Amino acid sequence: MAKKIATPATTDSVPAPAPATSETKLRMPAEEKYAAELAYLAGVDKDPRPFLWRLSPRMIRTFILGAGPGDSFDRPIAQKFFGDASLVERAIVTLASDRGLLLIGDPGTGKSWLAELLAAATSGNSTHVVQGTAGTTEDHIKYSWNVAMVIASGQSRESMIPSPIMTAMQRGETGRFEELTRCGSDVQDALISILSEKYITIPELRGDEGVVYAKPGFNMIATANSRDRGVNELSTALKRRFNFVTIPIVTNKKSEKEIVLFRTRELMARHTIDVDVPPTMLDILLQTFADLREATANTTSEDQRLESSLSTAEQIGVLEDALLHSNFFGDKALQPGTLARSLVGTLVRRVPEDVSILNKFWHAPAAETDGVKKRKKGEEAAVAAPAKGEKSPEWQAFVAGGKQALSSFK
Amino acid sequence: MNSILDPALLDPALQALRTQLEAAAAAFAGDSAHLGALLRAMLEDVQRATAEPVEVFPVKHHSPASALHMLRRLRARAPKVIYMEGCEDLNASLAGLHHCRFPVALQAFAPEAPAFPADWTPLNVVLPLTEFSAEYQAIAYCLQNPGTKLVFVDRSVDHVFQWMPKGGPPPGEDSGEADDGGEETEPAETAGEGEGEGASTGNTGNLHGGAVGLQIGDMQPTFGDFLDVLLRNAKVRHYSEWWTQYVEGPTLACDYGTYRQVFFLIGSLLRRIGITEKDRVADCERERYMWTRIREHMKAHKIDPREAMYVCGAIHAVSPIAEFGSKGATWTVPAKTPTQWFYGVVPSSYAAIERQFTLPAGEISIAQSMWDKGLQALELKPFKIEAEKKAEGEGKPTVRKKAAPAASAPAAPVEVPPAVSGAGLREFLTRPPTFVTADDEQLMRWCIEIVRLARKHGYNASTADTIAILHTSTLLARLRDRPHPSPYDFQDAAVTCLEKDRVPGRRDVRRLCQILLGGDRLGRVGYESLPPLAQDVYDRLAVLGINLKSSRIERALLDIQGRPELLPASDLLWRLRYLGAGVRPIMGERTLGHKPKQESWDIEIGKHQGSLIQLGYEGLTIEQVLEKRLKAKAFEATSRAAKALEAAEDSVLYLRSGRLTRELGLRATELLRAELGGNDAPEIFQRVRGLVHYYRTLGMPDWIKDFVSTGYRHYATLLPTAFTDRGTAPRQLAAMLAFIFTQEALAFSMGCERSQLLIAVAQAEPEDPPKIALRWAAQWILGQRSEDEIRADFQHLLSSSMLLPAFPEYMAGFLLALEFTPRISRLAVEFLSRAFAALPDEVLVPWLPKLVVTLRPLGPGVMQTLVKEAGLAFPRDLAKLPAWEFSWDRSVPVAPPPAPKARSEAKPTAKATVAAPAVERSPAELAVATLLRAEPATLDALAGLLGVPTTWAALAPAGEASAATSEAEAVASESLEVAEASVADTPLAQLLAAHPEALQALAARLQALA
Repeated sequence: MAKKIATPATTDSVPAPAPATSETKLRMPAEEKYAAELAYLAGVDKDPRPFLWRLSPRMIRTFILGAGPGDSFDRPIAQKFFGDASLVERAIVTLASDRGLLLIGDPGTGKSWLAELLAAATSGNSTHVVQGTAGTTEDHIKYSWNVAMVIASGQSRESMIPSPIMTAMQRGETGRFEELTRCGSDVQDALISILSEKYITIPELRGDEGVVYAKPGFNMIATANSRDRGVNELSTALKRRFNFVTIPIVTNKKSEKEIVLFRTRELMARHTIDVDVPPTMLDILLQTFADLREATANTTSEDQRLESSLSTAEQIGVLEDALLHSNFFGDKALQPGTLARSLVGTLVRRVPEDVSILNKFWHAPAAETDGVKKRKKGEEAAVAAPAKGEKSPEWQAFVAGGKQALSSFK
Repeated sequence: MNSILDPALLDPALQALRTQLEAAAAAFAGDSAHLGALLRAMLEDVQRATAEPVEVFPVKHHSPASALHMLRRLRARAPKVIYMEGCEDLNASLAGLHHCRFPVALQAFAPEAPAFPADWTPLNVVLPLTEFSAEYQAIAYCLQNPGTKLVFVDRSVDHVFQWMPKGGPPPGEDSGEADDGGEETEPAETAGEGEGEGASTGNTGNLHGGAVGLQIGDMQPTFGDFLDVLLRNAKVRHYSEWWTQYVEGPTLACDYGTYRQVFFLIGSLLRRIGITEKDRVADCERERYMWTRIREHMKAHKIDPREAMYVCGAIHAVSPIAEFGSKGATWTVPAKTPTQWFYGVVPSSYAAIERQFTLPAGEISIAQSMWDKGLQALELKPFKIEAEKKAEGEGKPTVRKKAAPAASAPAAPVEVPPAVSGAGLREFLTRPPTFVTADDEQLMRWCIEIVRLARKHGYNASTADTIAILHTSTLLARLRDRPHPSPYDFQDAAVTCLEKDRVPGRRDVRRLCQILLGGDRLGRVGYESLPPLAQDVYDRLAVLGINLKSSRIERALLDIQGRPELLPASDLLWRLRYLGAGVRPIMGERTLGHKPKQESWDIEIGKHQGSLIQLGYEGLTIEQVLEKRLKAKAFEATSRAAKALEAAEDSVLYLRSGRLTRELGLRATELLRAELGGNDAPEIFQRVRGLVHYYRTLGMPDWIKDFVSTGYRHYATLLPTAFTDRGTAPRQLAAMLAFIFTQEALAFSMGCERSQLLIAVAQAEPEDPPKIALRWAAQWILGQRSEDEIRADFQHLLSSSMLLPAFPEYMAGFLLALEFTPRISRLAVEFLSRAFAALPDEVLVPWLPKLVVTLRPLGPGVMQTLVKEAGLAFPRDLAKLPAWEFSWDRSVPVAPPPAPKARSEAKPTAKATVAAPAVERSPAELAVATLLRAEPATLDALAGLLGVPTTWAALAPAGEASAATSEAEAVASESLEVAEASVADTPLAQLLAAHPEALQALAARLQALA
């Protein structure tokens, strides 16, 4: 760990081991992906930094929310998280304080993404991740033993396998815990001592070896899914040690559009595919999701709801799927029919229920809701004489594609 | 006057500032010409406003900085007259501000306004005032010091509406459009939302209702892009947060000259790039109006411009119009419409103000805390509007006391030398903003308080949280470029540290923070300032002995039986409830003929004072207003008989005024006469039945008799059409028939005749199955159709497979007749039982739910008879089941024989099966029978002659003959109402019918002889 202390000051040395590119890694962690931005920001950062942080809180804010013309930077800093600025500020401040940060929200709202960005910006390493599952044990949070080495040379620091969180403690970096509520309550409670005492004792070892202390700068970012609330309720003691920051679903059309485009571009860049989503296609997608959300909100029974949370991430998934499909099997340009098929493929999870919900949605009579007006126009055009639908052709193809995809489920 | 107003002396400092700004523009902006021009223009605006001989005092609404500067300015030296932005006719309601607890709002109200679109009425304008606003300080000063006059100079309330776009939605409801610089309208749709959120705290958010809100010194940017850039660069969330941090705080402590120039500068910035073109045009119009009024007033009262002060929003202070200034161009004020306006004071609340002007929640209470802090720091005592009596006694001395030190040591902020003043602005702009000094103690107090509050509301908060909040808010403030945490930072920190995944109580942390920072405050209008109606209500409710001024819900218990003197109060409460003025009955009812014994009420008059005051514009007493409303309801052009009748009923319930009820009832009669269809028949029938029932014990007033006879004739006339017209639903038709049959007796007493009905029913030729069945029922009542015939009709339906599917429809119609003749219930049970037995499933099953729906509206009374009939028809216990059969299958039931032929046929079977009950003869009959038995010789001789054995039946029990008699009697009595039976009713005929043997024997003998 002594080696690591020196490094944070010179940020350029982080990606030194191997110049990471998209050639070698399918998905680069945020600190590698935005290494240049981080290095630049660290260079211009004059504010005091808490602990061993790479950036000052203000610069972290800029890193995540992007820089405007008023910040007078020499290079553009893109906005990476789209949402309420005060939410991000609260998250940053929490990390600087004594408490852990728990990001809570519906699936697909960008919790993990924000956590990754925060970890990358504070400690330059976002890979100290524990994934919470039903099978997560206390060993995954604390440490375990390399059995062969224990047999050969007994218990020592060398034969111990530290968990990602313990590693983060040792280095004074940010540890992440994904889907905290997925693992059992007793396992969760292992975090209590880590968050309050900031050390882990190893009873098997004696003396100084027996305690691993966290270096300044260590903190935890956990994420939890608000849909699973109550699966494994957090204990009050643990709740106390976390500050909760709730991330809402994006319902603002404009920012949602930005997010979808931003993420899809990134994903497509892996395949070196130029994303060219016609604006009408994007509108169709967003409108359909908005309508579906509205329809979901208006039903009372769980059976009438799609299993999907209809989040922004789902939209990105649909678009990505459609783009890939049209790129590899189609004629490059995105066709409405393809989009509709992807939509059906993504949203149908339970076979009889979801199919019937989508079926109903797609065949909904024109008078049912006003919110679904636009789509309705297209549908009417498909059935009767084309009315005043400016977007008729695309909508028509989209709706037809959707129906066709549904019919294949039988 | 102040020497800073001399333009010549101002130039050097501002000139230097201008040069500096231009250099900055050239250095930083790509296109320096535009920016430079803008900055130059802004400085020119500042200079012009400063140079105006009338002292322009720029303000922002609810700004403590403005209020503090106003306070200091007025303490230093009094102007002769204060012109203020604000509707000129609202001057009238200023007097009502004594005796009020703030915040209250000046109100202008027009219940009727023919000059404006109909859906705008009633027109309602409110101008809320809080204690920490510059306008309040000025008003308070002027009310205490008659030497200074206060004049509102803005366009009149009438013009506010005149200048609104006519085609648009009603004002006070449209959300998106800010029609006028000085107002922003609130969306009415959010009313429900607000209620849900804070219902527990007695949310006062929608206190202003649909009123159009005005405020003095509105400075909200309406141009979206400008606002976005401003907020993004300042790293704040709301405009008001920006304002507090960058303008309010720094100007709080600076000198008066600088304050003015800073406000001018910001006003100029907003005016030039911050507001939309539409608002700019509207602002210009208003400024023309204001300056024209100012000049008129100065001319009329010979006031030197230097002795006048003009209080207006900073945006208006830097107006570029030609009419600006005491020497500006002239302009003609447009005429008012003839609308009649009422003026008054209504209570307001912080939440209502925030909602009306779409300010973030908690904004006003934050402003109040700044005001209190500012007062403490500057050691000032604010002006207060006090009751007139007090103002005589103490108000003046305090002012004089305050004025004295100010005069002896001329306040530095006001008497600033000119050059310094210009430099003041420059210095202000070039040095880093001086913020309000850190108040750690206050922050600490907040942190402790919020944890305590949170714990009280179910949160698991502890001292550790206090520390965390303090820490977090400091960190947040630093992140947001603030030296000291603002209330907003504190709020965010508290939410971050305390709010977990769910809210344990009714309020979340954000709401708790608002409560902590002052919370909502509800204003109250004092008794003396209330309109007579409201005073009257307060006086008359005093007997209840509850605190009417409380802003909480007060429970009143009225034991009217024990304390009859409470009855008038109960009456008043019912009237108030009818008019919707903040009272709610918990126990007790008011229905026709109900004598109240005990009632309990939730009274919220303190909170809903506004609605009571508004009622005050409509009349002098509640009764008068109620009468007006009822009359308006009955006499409006589109009124219908049912509505007028409802009004009449309400007048009986609430006013007990025979005169008014009669007037409304006659109006109802008149409307009924003109009515063409039977659409309202069900409602009218129900109301009339109730009213007739109510009046039966009290004596019928002539109007109800009139109404009933009119209704009888009217509906009888309508019947043939109603039977055939598809537009009249069977239910409505049934209601018409019900009206006719149930009110028949009363109608006959008023000279109606049944023949009219007989003809009408004969004319009816319905085609729809339900109506056909209804006609059968009507004919049955009228004796035109026998039970057997009806039975045969229904049997026919069941026997024909083509007609079978229509059976439910016939039955539906037939069941509707239960409403006016419960006697058909036996038949109904019979037909239903037959239907269940005979109908195939595909007809029966879909019909069953409809059957329930048909039966439900008939009410409990009808169902009871039906069930009773069914109970008689079916076996009582299991043992009887094997041998059991339907009574109508066992026998052909007793038919009411209108024709003698049918009767004679029916008789033998009846004899065979029906157990004869004890004979009951009428006294006359009995007398004849006894006489015959006493003197049997004649009949015996006759019988002997004829060769018939002479047997005398015992008098009391019946032989065959008497059984028949009883039958005949039963029939006769049953068909008493049936007109046709009258022929058989003479005693002789009855006697002959009862003892037919003699005649029959005689006839046989005669035949044999012949």
